[in-house]
Amino acid sequence: MQAAAGKKHKSVSYSHWGYIFIAPFFITFLIFQLYPIFFTFRTSVTDAVGWQKILNNNIIGFENFRQLFDSNSLVSGMFWGALWNTIIIWFFNFVPQLGLALILASWFTDTRLRLRGQGFFKVTIFMPNIITAATIGMLFMSFFAYPIGPVNTLIQTLGLSNMPIEYFRSTAWSRGLISFIQWWMWCGNTMIIMIAGISGINPSLFEAALVDGCSSRQTFWKITLPLIKPILVYNLTTSLVGGLTMFDIPHMMTQGQPNNTTNTVARFIYMQGFTGSNNFNMASAASVVLFGIIIVGSLLIRYILNDHDPKPAVRHRDANKKEVAVK
Amino acid sequence: MKKVLALILACMLLVGCMSFASAEGEKVKLVVWSFTNELQTMIEKYYLPNHPELEIQFQIYPTDGHAYQDKVDGLLGSNATSEEAPDIFTLEAAFVKHYVEMDWTGDLKDIGFTDEELSVAFPVMAQIGQNSAGVQKGLSWQSTPGALMYRASLAEKYLGVKTPEEMQEKVKDWDTFLETAEALKTASEGACKMVVGSGDIWNAYQYQRSAGWVVDGKLNIDDELLDFEELCKTLEQDDLTHKGGAWSEVWFAGMRGEIETLCYFLPTWGLHYTLKPHCAEGWNDKLSDEDNLAALGENIGTYGDWRMVDGPVAYSWGGTWMGINAAKAATADDAKKAAMHDLIYFFTLNDEFLTQYAADSGDFVGSAKAVETILANGGTPNPFLGGQDHYAIFASAAALANGSLMSEYDADINDLWDKFVTTPYTKGEKDLDACLADFKEQVAATITTITVE
Repeated sequence: MQAAAGKKHKSVSYSHWGYIFIAPFFITFLIFQLYPIFFTFRTSVTDAVGWQKILNNNIIGFENFRQLFDSNSLVSGMFWGALWNTIIIWFFNFVPQLGLALILASWFTDTRLRLRGQGFFKVTIFMPNIITAATIGMLFMSFFAYPIGPVNTLIQTLGLSNMPIEYFRSTAWSRGLISFIQWWMWCGNTMIIMIAGISGINPSLFEAALVDGCSSRQTFWKITLPLIKPILVYNLTTSLVGGLTMFDIPHMMTQGQPNNTTNTVARFIYMQGFTGSNNFNMASAASVVLFGIIIVGSLLIRYILNDHDPKPAVRHRDANKKEVAVK
Repeated sequence: MKKVLALILACMLLVGCMSFASAEGEKVKLVVWSFTNELQTMIEKYYLPNHPELEIQFQIYPTDGHAYQDKVDGLLGSNATSEEAPDIFTLEAAFVKHYVEMDWTGDLKDIGFTDEELSVAFPVMAQIGQNSAGVQKGLSWQSTPGALMYRASLAEKYLGVKTPEEMQEKVKDWDTFLETAEALKTASEGACKMVVGSGDIWNAYQYQRSAGWVVDGKLNIDDELLDFEELCKTLEQDDLTHKGGAWSEVWFAGMRGEIETLCYFLPTWGLHYTLKPHCAEGWNDKLSDEDNLAALGENIGTYGDWRMVDGPVAYSWGGTWMGINAAKAATADDAKKAAMHDLIYFFTLNDEFLTQYAADSGDFVGSAKAVETILANGGTPNPFLGGQDHYAIFASAAALANGSLMSEYDADINDLWDKFVTTPYTKGEKDLDACLADFKEQVAATITTITVE
């Protein structure tokens, strides 16, 4: 009896320690994440303009949201314009990024290719991700400086142009450069995730495919890609969140110029909240709308890529197997 | 073992005595916030040695982006009377107006400043430290009047100008300035440009306005600003500049003389901390001028080739103000108020100290009286300017510049004006009306507390 009580006591004590060990995370989470999120939601329905009203404000209902959705108001044009800019910049960064990351990942994991110096290439491709985005923004800003800068000097020396080009006054160049930097920075990261995803596939499937005489392309499309779908969903979602909240590179490098064509949503929020009259209410409302857009986007990705119905999914997998077997 | 024990006991005894001693002397404790260590260095060097009763806790947050303002806003907005909240905090030109307009900053008269004391400050710096109701809330220890710096050799070669007086005639107003720029282009066959970029003249030109950006709560676009746009457009389209921005590679190349640029608009700090360190490749700003010249040998760049004139308009660019936390000042006892007053007074208005400090650092100080004393003592002939006295010229600009033009939203509005009007218009991307419409839209969306018509 006593022994049993002792045992019970011991086990209770263990779980108690477990809670204590995870407590720091939850406390930090509550204070620095959950509370600010609620605070943002609350601020979005108030008249909090300026620091002096951040704590003492009145709830005015959905006026801020109305302004964001009313096509006649000033901020709505800026907000939706910024969202469009963000989507364009994100698209031209993400599509090449995912494409190249997939190709590289399938090369690095291909047992038939047996690439040499893999470690070196992986590290080199991943390297840009380690550098702070702000630093890279400054770096590219000086690279493409006008009228004297390394790139302008280079193209003039090579005879590609006899005049220096003012890159940051051209919408295409500015957006293109931001997309390029994002691509260059995040490609290595996506590649590593893809490699991890592919390495998680049971090698016997690849061996079976090899025995059955699949070409590399067939193996990729019919085996690798369907089996890394969960990883793709993860990657698309994180990239969507990262892409729609893009701030540092456009802010450091172009400051939304020329003519606000590289102004992203996060930058719009920043400009509303932390410059001018500090329109915290509008900044919060825009954050809430962005939050909604991201949630809808993420759900859409899940819906499109996941097997939504469990029953056909099983059949689907069977079909796959059969197909491989037939070949 | 006994020895160790004895040592420990002795140490404990010593520590006990020390803590007892410090508890005995009633120290006045001040919290001072700043964005550089400049003030801390000054206080530690000149003030603390003579004020043992004072204990100052310094807190430095750099101004990267909004970091300093965010710290100030965060604490003063929520918990202004807390222990770590500043008693005294410094304010930069870019955001001083923003804070003096708020209730967070206190009236300096509340801690004992008198009108007589305040009267010796340069009007431009004092005006910027006042809120729109005229309450003095900030004082600057530097005064930052600006001037026009030009290269004597280029002026003589292309314009036949031999003295600063002749040069001043060539840049006495903006029309003459433009004529000189055209003449310079013809004479140098386009090699030498008047300024590096049209943006370079903004800091001076904004003092040409008759009223600031905000008048009676409304956005005011002064007529002078439209003339500014025309001037900039002509400079840009007629190829009278190097088309570079301030702080760009071209800007510094012109200072080193690698490309020919005649004029720079620079204030006091610009002369010492921007132009001089960039006058030659390899200049080491940790060394004295003599050591630098000895180390550089033949390649002294543009050292000694620069001269200074008033230029088309008297202006001011920069400054660091000291302000007080109203919430803490309200609850402070007399001893603390006096300590705050004495500290601010010493660094911003004390004639004796400022004269001494100017001699030590070469900085241009905030008190007109101290500047008079320095000029009366023979001024400051500067070999970098070929022996010209920079104090005399800065003094006239400091006396004339109009500080009442500044408003709390200047930093943001200036930025929007440059991005949405000056840049697209001078580059010929849009016509002026379209630019102005864009600008107004941006101002109305970012600054909802003012009316835009």
